[in-house]
Amino acid sequence: MTRSRGKAGHLSGYAFAGPFLLLYATILVYPLLLGIWLSFQRADLFGARTWVGFDNYARLLTDPTFHQSVLNTFVLALLIVPPLTVIALLLALALNRATRTAAVFRGIFFSSSVLSVTIVTLIWRFILTPDAGLVAEISQVLGREPLPFLSHPDLTIPSLAITTIWWSLGFPIMLFLAGLQQVPPDIYEAAALDRSSRWSTFWRITLPSLRRTLVLVIMLQTAAQLQLFGQAQLLTAGGPSGASRTMVLFIYEVVFGRWDLGYGAAAAEILFLLVLGITLAQYWAITRREAER
Amino acid sequence: MSRLVSLLLAVVALAGCGRADDRTEIVVQRFFGECGAVYGQSTDVAAADGECGTLTTIINRFQAENPDIRVRLNVVAWPGYPQLSAQIAAGDPPDLVTMHQSVISDYQGRGLLEPMGGLLRGAGIGPETFTEAGRRGVVKGGRVYGMPWDTIGRLFHINTGLMAQAGLMRDGQPVLPNSPEEMLDHARRFRAATGNPYLIQAQVNAPDTHVGNLYTYLLAQGAVIFPDARHIRLRTPEARRIVELFRTLNAERLSTTNQDFPGATAAFINGQGGIFPTGTWMIGPYEAEAGTPGQPLYRSYAVRPFPRLWGSEAAFVDGHAWVMPRRERSRTERAAVGRFLRFLADHNFDWTRTGHLPSFAAVLDRPDFRALPHRAEIAEMAGTGQQLPDYVQRQSAIQGLIGEELEAAVSGIKPVDQALADAERRVNELLAQMI
Repeated sequence: MTRSRGKAGHLSGYAFAGPFLLLYATILVYPLLLGIWLSFQRADLFGARTWVGFDNYARLLTDPTFHQSVLNTFVLALLIVPPLTVIALLLALALNRATRTAAVFRGIFFSSSVLSVTIVTLIWRFILTPDAGLVAEISQVLGREPLPFLSHPDLTIPSLAITTIWWSLGFPIMLFLAGLQQVPPDIYEAAALDRSSRWSTFWRITLPSLRRTLVLVIMLQTAAQLQLFGQAQLLTAGGPSGASRTMVLFIYEVVFGRWDLGYGAAAAEILFLLVLGITLAQYWAITRREAER
Repeated sequence: MSRLVSLLLAVVALAGCGRADDRTEIVVQRFFGECGAVYGQSTDVAAADGECGTLTTIINRFQAENPDIRVRLNVVAWPGYPQLSAQIAAGDPPDLVTMHQSVISDYQGRGLLEPMGGLLRGAGIGPETFTEAGRRGVVKGGRVYGMPWDTIGRLFHINTGLMAQAGLMRDGQPVLPNSPEEMLDHARRFRAATGNPYLIQAQVNAPDTHVGNLYTYLLAQGAVIFPDARHIRLRTPEARRIVELFRTLNAERLSTTNQDFPGATAAFINGQGGIFPTGTWMIGPYEAEAGTPGQPLYRSYAVRPFPRLWGSEAAFVDGHAWVMPRRERSRTERAAVGRFLRFLADHNFDWTRTGHLPSFAAVLDRPDFRALPHRAEIAEMAGTGQQLPDYVQRQSAIQGLIGEELEAAVSGIKPVDQALADAERRVNELLAQMI
């Protein structure tokens, strides 16, 4: 009797999970396997395929353009994720109150997130372009030479980082606000009774309560910024001389510009492994510390 | 309530019972922008302006005069090749597509385009009616793979007011250099007299600027750029001379350096430099500025082909064409495509009002074409303009690679020899991997 009920339970479980698993396998697992298979081929967009083994990966290992794109991608992620996390946290702390003004500002800060990358880059082009941009005009009023934010090899990556931080703030703020509203108010009341300072309350109550949200924000943003594409393509086209080419832009150029699908697939697999590895490492580091507690 | 729901369902069901559209449908895909809000209903071709407006109006006119054919228009963002590749890969390409003549080899080389010689002849359009440059642009491997629509090239757009200030006008005509040394001399005199750079160049996000200069002056020196389909030759004294000239212009601030194309265009319109080397398609907008009192370019605008700095006169040109991706088509569909192409060919003059050069030789001789501003000065390019050999594929990707390395060389990030060697290596690697 118990055994048959258990069997029925298993079957109903599969029935519930089945449609999702089918969809997941179709739109994620199958393309992933296809991508891996393609990365071992010399292939174009129109069906030509020749098995080349690890040749595409060997080419990537000796391709300085790809190396530069990997470095650029990591630098961008480092320039974006920590400041984005800190700014979003600070803004969430400032806006975590039930006033009309806070509600208006929450809307304002979230509004950039609903813009498409085309609009975002258009806005930042108006700000950064050195001949008639907002920053250039201010520089000239102050009697200083405008900086070529979009064409100097040392300035393009920071420009892309600033653009991305502005664009990406909304979602982390919302996550932090949701996390803050989960903190029981009685802990803050107890801290107030103990005359705890603001810093001490933040450091000992708020931040530990937000640990899981913080981890989620860092992991999501790291995975997202390692795949940065649109801003680099539209603002700088990866230039000057590849100084702001990201890995995804490299893959796009290889696949759609050169029609070298196998080579692009190999680069995409390396990016996949990097994102997976870094995300798992972050997860392992966090859960290990929790287990130690 | 249930009655209302039944009624709604009945209306929805009957809505599908309308008379089927039995007209022959052709799918036309083009770039040149979207302007439906202004020209969506316009059929007055003579009144249309700009690339988008003119082409939209021509197609509207065709539709109005050919009610038995339904033209389904698909506008793609420039240049639209990733979309086209995806459509071909999915087995659903359009019937006609706008394509740069330099890109045709990519698709033709993979057997993705239909030869169009027979279809064009059937529509009364023989390749002998094309201009020289137009014919070179669409004939690949001895067969016609498209109907040329225009010839586009880079020109010197000149602010004659500033040139006069610098003493670089003679008998009302701009004085252009005849050697690299003379160009530097003119540029220095211009800078000293006007305080502005001699050249306005779009050097940000615009690889075609440097590649256009390089190809033009390599062709002028008679250099063989692509000795065969798998190799480029850039580590040459000819290439070094060209890059070093433009590097010097940048280093001495005789050219703008930090502008993208919109920035450079604005700078030229605002009279912030002497010469803007850019495409034929900017003649119209600049001519409009030159005719507007109070504007910096008012009565101060001229156009010339690139000056001869080395060797002989030469112009590196490209062009647009209408091509037919390979797919199954019925005889009526082919006939409809032929009629559409015939109509386009008959309106080739209207297209040249945008600034492009015609692709049909007869238009070159038309008085109304000759009467268009500056066309007399540049019409020769339709005959003399040179393209890369028809066996060179991936020209757009190659331009991106070379442009990136030249940008580094001209801006001083890389030594010229290293940039040319890197460009050669990267292009040869690309060509070696082609299937």
